Amino acid sequence: MSVRPVQSSNVLTGSLAQIGNCGLFLLTLLAAIPRSFRYVRETLRQLWFVGAMSLTIIMVCGLFVGMVLMLQLYHVLSIFGGTSASGMVVALSVYRELGPVVTALLFAGRAGTSITAEIGLMRATDQIDAMEMMAVDPIAYVATPRFLAGLIAMPLLCCVFCAMSVLGGHLVGVTWLGIDNGTFWSNMTAVVDLHTDIVNGVLLKSLAFGAVVSLIAVYQGFTTPPTSEGVAYATTRTVVASSIAILALDFVLTAFLM
Amino acid sequence: MSQPRNSYAVGTGLFIVLGFAALVYLATQTTSVANVHQGSSYTVDTHFANIGQLKERAPVKIAGVRIGQVQSITLQPGAEVADVKLAIDKNYDKIPLDSVATIFTSGLLGDQYVGIVYGTSKKTVAEGGTLALTKPAEQLEDMLGKFFGAGGMADNLGGTYTVTADFTNVGTLSAGAAVKMAGVPIGSVQSVVADPVKLDAKVTLAIDNRYNQIPDDSSAAVFTSGLIGAQFVAIQPGGSPDALKNGDEMVLTQSAMQLEDLIGKFLVNGSSSDQKNAGNGTSPGKSSSDKPSSPTPTGKQ
Repeated sequence: MSVRPVQSSNVLTGSLAQIGNCGLFLLTLLAAIPRSFRYVRETLRQLWFVGAMSLTIIMVCGLFVGMVLMLQLYHVLSIFGGTSASGMVVALSVYRELGPVVTALLFAGRAGTSITAEIGLMRATDQIDAMEMMAVDPIAYVATPRFLAGLIAMPLLCCVFCAMSVLGGHLVGVTWLGIDNGTFWSNMTAVVDLHTDIVNGVLLKSLAFGAVVSLIAVYQGFTTPPTSEGVAYATTRTVVASSIAILALDFVLTAFLM
Repeated sequence: MSQPRNSYAVGTGLFIVLGFAALVYLATQTTSVANVHQGSSYTVDTHFANIGQLKERAPVKIAGVRIGQVQSITLQPGAEVADVKLAIDKNYDKIPLDSVATIFTSGLLGDQYVGIVYGTSKKTVAEGGTLALTKPAEQLEDMLGKFFGAGGMADNLGGTYTVTADFTNVGTLSAGAAVKMAGVPIGSVQSVVADPVKLDAKVTLAIDNRYNQIPDDSSAAVFTSGLIGAQFVAIQPGGSPDALKNGDEMVLTQSAMQLEDLIGKFLVNGSSSDQKNAGNGTSPGKSSSDKPSSPTPTGKQ
């Protein structure tokens, strides 16, 4: 049951072993879900930590992404006299790509790193081993609640991000640049589709990203070398690996869902 | 884990509620599910022969000022007529019953909206009433088709004779461009050179020998095929008994028009032949070609 860091001198076999180990760890996590129901309060606490505490950064970033997107689009589209389409383009680009991806990147930076650091310190200070000795399953008590919390929090955060982006676009476009309010909304509602854009774009993508980021964060925490340097490296690796995984997965998902 | 239980439970609950609220907002306000109508407004029915690209929630304007929005667009069962319901702000309840509802386009490629041009009637349209006079959306293709002839290249340029014409501005006309009469290609432009003395453009036209009966007082004009198409020389026959001969110069010329002039000219000359419901009293044919902000000949408020 216990997860140990991979030791390999070869880069290729090392990274392959990392991926394989991570996959096995995912199976262990999923298998521990029934056992973690006992610790539902812990899951709730993690949801508060990764979700509710991330709201500020997500809302502020969403607002600014929508605002800057609208500003850029307005100046390009005004060349063609098509500024009335800018609200629609903001909504589509945020729902389909920017919302899930930027939320996931922020989530990896805000929540993923602290999960890794927390579990890594537990590992370094032998708390994980202590739990095993007290017959408390560390996977069910530490790993699975954090994974589930990330899985639940990401789609909700992404919805908040997208809503704030649209409001930011509205703020700049209608209030500042003078696009007609009705045209802004009517163009948007005419093009945005509930299934392809909201369900497939916002919800499905952010769910997948939430799973990937939480898995990487928890896995890196559990495989941290039990030194202060190891915790630092693991935290960095969480951000790097999450970012690569998010962007690569985004391409794959878009190719499949389009 | 020393947190008091309720502090994070309340935070988590708030977070979940906020997340779902955002989801509901996205799903209802920004997708096609949305159908909000604004507070105090009254609805007016209109029937259009063609609504073009008009969408629900598009603005309704009088004199260019937004007074409401399009509430719904449905097709009348069994007829080729679109039912358009307008939700108009209660503050603007003095709209004459014989006002004309017209579908305008904001700019050349912009969105369409419903413009209302006031009539003269003392009666005003009430809640649920109908504006009987409407003017359908002009299709850009129709408009351009009326303005420009069909394209095509001259075939069988066996023997040609050349005439010259001086233009003050040839636009982007270049050698090889078509020469057309009545929209049919009859030759090509042989050369375009600047005249060093008269300081204008000297265009040499090679015209097929078959067309040797062109009156020598015909005029030549530089036209554009389509909005952004290639330019060509159009010859409009005059009334002289003498025909153009090789080496003659065409005196009457019309220079290339800038796109802005072209559109301006079109808007002034816009046709009113395809209106269906309009036409008694308020001369909507005339008003249709004006901007919605310009006053109509008879209806002033």
